[in-house]
Amino acid sequence: MLAVIWKDIMLESRGRETISALFVLGVVILLIFNFAVDVGSDEIERMAPGMLWIAIVLSAMLGLGRIFLIEKENGCMTALVLSPIDRGGLFIAKLLVNLLLLIVFEAMLVPVFILLFDLDVGANALNLAVVLGAGSLGLAATGTLFALAALGTRARELMLPLIVLPLQIPLLIAAVKATDIVLRSGSLADLGAWGSILAAFDVIFVTVGWLAFEFITVD
Amino acid sequence: MINKVENLILALVPPIVGPAILVSLWAIFFWVPTDVSLGLSQRIFYYHVPSAITSLLAFAIAGGTSALYLRTANEDWDHAASAAVTAGLTFASLALITGSVWARTAWGTWWTWDARLTTFLILWAVFASYELLRALSAGNEMGRRYAAVLAIVGALNIPLVQFATRLWRTIHPQVINNPEGGISDPAMQATFLISLVSFWLLFAWLWALRMRVLRLSTRTELLVEESYHWSSTR
Repeated sequence: MLAVIWKDIMLESRGRETISALFVLGVVILLIFNFAVDVGSDEIERMAPGMLWIAIVLSAMLGLGRIFLIEKENGCMTALVLSPIDRGGLFIAKLLVNLLLLIVFEAMLVPVFILLFDLDVGANALNLAVVLGAGSLGLAATGTLFALAALGTRARELMLPLIVLPLQIPLLIAAVKATDIVLRSGSLADLGAWGSILAAFDVIFVTVGWLAFEFITVD
Repeated sequence: MINKVENLILALVPPIVGPAILVSLWAIFFWVPTDVSLGLSQRIFYYHVPSAITSLLAFAIAGGTSALYLRTANEDWDHAASAAVTAGLTFASLALITGSVWARTAWGTWWTWDARLTTFLILWAVFASYELLRALSAGNEMGRRYAAVLAIVGALNIPLVQFATRLWRTIHPQVINNPEGGISDPAMQATFLISLVSFWLLFAWLWALRMRVLRLSTRTELLVEESYHWSSTR
């Protein structure tokens, strides 16, 4: 399992294709928002969390689907399934790689976001990181679970957002609200029900993915 | 087992569905009293609520049969799940359309981002993507298994969506299980029940028919394959 994780991390760190594409896309989305919605200073606080999450979700959609694309293109899928780890473990490995990818991406995007929207994060940085991490885990879990499904269809990558976005809506609502609370310097205890939804979503989708991968990978 | 259910439904239900729907239409348009505050528009409630409930039932059936399919790898369960989603989506669309028509007269707008409306639209989108996934994966086994996972996840997701959107905002009327208000008139309750039962019968019929179509088409494919094989060996 560690070998699979290590292999994917090495691939990405040598090429840096996915992460740089994600970063540029994320910045461009933030930029477009700036033109699409003429933000005055009083509205920024209200709209910023939503914009950040849309930039993250849209970029993530492109990046997460690639996790099995490399295997499929190089014909390594069979080798992976035959390798001596159980399929649930394969899911966890791929999930961790995707999560790491998202965290690195967010570590690059969020400073730009703070700069562009002139936000004062300061003492809330740690809480913001926790909320971003919880949201990313949910995104990575749903994305990893259905990435293989999308590749199996004729529409390939086009299919992934169609399957995953509706499922992610509760996560998104909760993540946006939680980010909003944290940015207004609320503590993690102030998250209340939104925090519970984030946690519940993460637990459900990591568990379902782990269980389901046993049944899905037949070839 | 599911084949027996299918045969039973197809033997019993078809003769009753037509009369049941006619009786419910008669009750809605001629028998039930008009609501005092909402007026005529309230009558759409007898079609709107049953179709919403029926679609939820259908999606729950799809989730359950999908789990059975993953466990047993028996294609009959896969057919049952797929048929339930197809029929469920029909009723869900009906619920969205009738609700929209009612909202136009009662709230003055075709659509608002109320919690229950949003939940329902998300549900509709999840199971619409189920249909797309099935259509685009062209009947391979991994596609069917993934569709099953999607149906289960979609069903599991319902309470979470419900909870998140309700926290978000709600203005949808709470008619059933509402201590203050709600429907108390016995004729209204009877009409509602008649409608609900006839919608369930209609759903059962559509579901069983669709299941039979799916099974027959798989069998036809097998037969065609066999006949190729047979003609090539001769």
